[in-house]
Amino acid sequence: MVVVPEFLIRRVYKKGSLKKIENGASLDLKNVLGPGFISGFNYVKINEIVFEPKDVKFITAGQELAGDSVSEANPVAFRLNQEGTLVMQGKDCVVEGKNKIVIEVMNPEAGKVQLTVEDIA
Amino acid sequence: MEITFDKHSLIIDGKRVFIKSGAFHYFRTPGYEMALDRFAKMKSGGYNTVDIYFNWNYHSKNPGEYDFNGIKDVRKVLQAASEVGLYVIARPGPFINGEVNAGGLPFWLLKMEDVIPRNRIGTEYHYSEKYMQYIEEWYDNIIPIIKEFDNVILFQIENEYATDTMEEDYMRQLYKMAREKGITCPIFHNDAYFAGLWADVVDIYALDLYPYINPNQNWKQDNFCFDTLDNVEEIFRGAKENSPGFIAEMQSGWFDKWDGSGYRHIREALGDEHINIMTKTALSQGVTLFNHYMAVGGTSWDNLACDEVYTSYEFTAPIDEFGIPQSNFFKAKAINYFLDSFDFTNTDAIPFEFNQENIYTKLRHDNINDCDWLFVRNMNSETVELDLQKTIKLKPYDMKICPVNLKLKGCEIEFSDVEIFARLYDKNEEVIFMIADKEANIYLKDQGIISGDKKDYDNLTFEKNGKKTQFVFLTKRLADRSWLLKDKLIFNADYVLPNGAAALERNTEIAYYDLKHKFAKKYCVVNEFNDYAKPEIIKDFLIDFCSPEIDTHYNYKNWKKIGEKTDSLSCGLYDEFIWYKAKIPNNLEEITLSARHLFAVYINGKEILNRNSYKIEKLQEIPETISIPLDKNILSRDVNELTILVQNLGFDKGFSGDTNSPRGLVTFETNPKIPVEFYVCEKLAIERGDTRESENPYLTKITVNFDIDFKDDVFFAKYLSLENFWYRRATIFLNGVKIGRYIKRTHVQDKFYLINEFLKPHNTLEIIIWEKDRNIKSPWGFKSDMKNVIIQIGTQKMYQLFK
Repeated sequence: MVVVPEFLIRRVYKKGSLKKIENGASLDLKNVLGPGFISGFNYVKINEIVFEPKDVKFITAGQELAGDSVSEANPVAFRLNQEGTLVMQGKDCVVEGKNKIVIEVMNPEAGKVQLTVEDIA
Repeated sequence: MEITFDKHSLIIDGKRVFIKSGAFHYFRTPGYEMALDRFAKMKSGGYNTVDIYFNWNYHSKNPGEYDFNGIKDVRKVLQAASEVGLYVIARPGPFINGEVNAGGLPFWLLKMEDVIPRNRIGTEYHYSEKYMQYIEEWYDNIIPIIKEFDNVILFQIENEYATDTMEEDYMRQLYKMAREKGITCPIFHNDAYFAGLWADVVDIYALDLYPYINPNQNWKQDNFCFDTLDNVEEIFRGAKENSPGFIAEMQSGWFDKWDGSGYRHIREALGDEHINIMTKTALSQGVTLFNHYMAVGGTSWDNLACDEVYTSYEFTAPIDEFGIPQSNFFKAKAINYFLDSFDFTNTDAIPFEFNQENIYTKLRHDNINDCDWLFVRNMNSETVELDLQKTIKLKPYDMKICPVNLKLKGCEIEFSDVEIFARLYDKNEEVIFMIADKEANIYLKDQGIISGDKKDYDNLTFEKNGKKTQFVFLTKRLADRSWLLKDKLIFNADYVLPNGAAALERNTEIAYYDLKHKFAKKYCVVNEFNDYAKPEIIKDFLIDFCSPEIDTHYNYKNWKKIGEKTDSLSCGLYDEFIWYKAKIPNNLEEITLSARHLFAVYINGKEILNRNSYKIEKLQEIPETISIPLDKNILSRDVNELTILVQNLGFDKGFSGDTNSPRGLVTFETNPKIPVEFYVCEKLAIERGDTRESENPYLTKITVNFDIDFKDDVFFAKYLSLENFWYRRATIFLNGVKIGRYIKRTHVQDKFYLINEFLKPHNTLEIIIWEKDRNIKSPWGFKSDMKNVIIQIGTQKMYQLFK
């Protein structure tokens, strides 16, 4: 079970940030919940396309991190009000109109944290 | 008492009051005497309020039954707070978390049809009429007691509550219920997500703040953990415009878990710095109500603990589980005394620009004392020199509150980074006790600079217009041992009580100071305490096998017969230990079962499996199902006796999991599949008064007798040490009361508080060992080896009280 209610998690997603890029997508996050760590990217799903951690990049605080390099042993700090961009590559996934986005990350204290939103590219 | 509030503070009978509160669990520190002792220490440490959770589960073992007698008499707890002069923050849930079993919800409630605990499944809202009816019953029982005490100043509904959709009817109904039942003080809720949750439902918005919740985290290195606290004033203002800054749970320690890193580690990791930073940063953000969670550690005796935590709920609190003030208590005391020295209830943040890495600053104007206070924090790993109003040096992970343009009776402080400890004053005279610091200075207007490089009791006096200000310096060591009691300071005591009694561990010259009599000294000779630092090894004890339930031909016909569902809620058995007995034929090839948490399976009096299935990963309970192959050697008779003993370490506390997750024997199947008729019973044999010695050695009882010499003027705390114990699991009973559970593998606790409330002049300690078959060579050999077991009883601390 997720500790943090969904409606609070959804606030982390920056509405209107979904962009179609060549062979993938990008979107922006802002930590409005509280300071903490991301200890793993489980997956990002845009519509029915699933991106494994290896296909995800997280760009934050001047760093570009491969999704599969983030782990419990190598967590990434995500401070209050810190912003970051998730870049997914390898498959076209963004459609015109409404897109369904699911992002699942791990947090050392809360466990699995899943963000589900809809956005228009 | 009339309690109102505005955006600055709580106002009690027309007077602004700064609420310096600490959390205390009466159920973990049982009895009036222990409550009185801990409250007295809190009061002497400058707290003016105690925060009390009321634990529904503790008082209601069966539907409609409420027990407020003996050690469960909450009137006596509230009376103790009143006698000592503490206000009370009442938190009767219904859900309280607090790492208690089922989060404080009664076990019987969890299995009720149509009851959805907390109106929530996962994080989805599901309103349950039946649940609300039972809450009404709880409120009908607890609120009349709370109402009897006019020192109750705040009342909380629910605890850290949120759902995905945030429907308001549950919380609004709780608020309405409390009001209808006569609660007149302001009502609040503690938002664990600092997102302004329920601000519109309650009178005062409050939140919880725990920047350090992962003992593997280095908070000094990852100092951004204070990001929320550093911006909390903005959160308060955004949530509720006309409500004072209230941190309903402000971290002063943290709890340890089974398989955790141990309280010693957490205490070392937090040090004194953490509580100093937490509290001073909160002040810098205009907070005027804080509650150190916890102020007093406790013990999860009997079945109090949720599955996550072991017996000690020490919490690295300022007053530890044994009732001993720790170094973070001295730090909290210094801040509390400072808040008693200058009224801090009406301040406003004013712009102050200073940017340097890992340095936090905040300036506030004090509308009452007409001065400013500069807050400075250094999160660098080395001392820094900062060019602020003056140049100041700040040690690593230190934080100071510096007065700016503070007008005193005989002089004016332009700026000081020598910290104020306490102040005694009357109309024409004041004595300000300062903490000596050789790197710091007091800058006086027109009167030069006073160095903080001073010895104990060094002093300087300034006079102006017939009024006098005297600065008296105390080294930090003496300040830790100095105690402010209304109009008097007592120096050099280990602690004092509000009645002026000084507690001393050894011969000491204590000193007193008040404005009228000035300094006085008294030499106190402590009676010869035995060398209590060394625990006594117990040589004389009895050993008995004590699990007759496992023996063949045990008569269990008067046990409860159950249906297909075998888990503890379905059986209506909620104790830590549950026994299952059944008869099984000899043609079974396998049994498959799942049980929580520790369990063993015996067939015809012989163990075939003994397992600890407790596993939590990423806050999720990991279920485990095990198959045990059977053969003719095991099923040696036509009809075989099956015995299963399950130890439930507690129900989920309900923060991230469900309180009604199954316990006991969760599933049981045979191959080939046949119906099995189980009979069940709870508690260990000795708890049920069955003291027969068993043939089997799986549960063995060690009985120790010891005496205590009680004296009116001596405070002591005793413990049982199993430091050199080589058995796997044990349950400890003191005079028939279960006071501890030991699991060797976890390495987390081998020292158990012999809770004062349960001690008598002549005591019996029973330690029930639950061992694995493979560690028992033979019953006779096992008993013989056991004679060499090392059990120690020691004294944690002993103080003589001098009036």
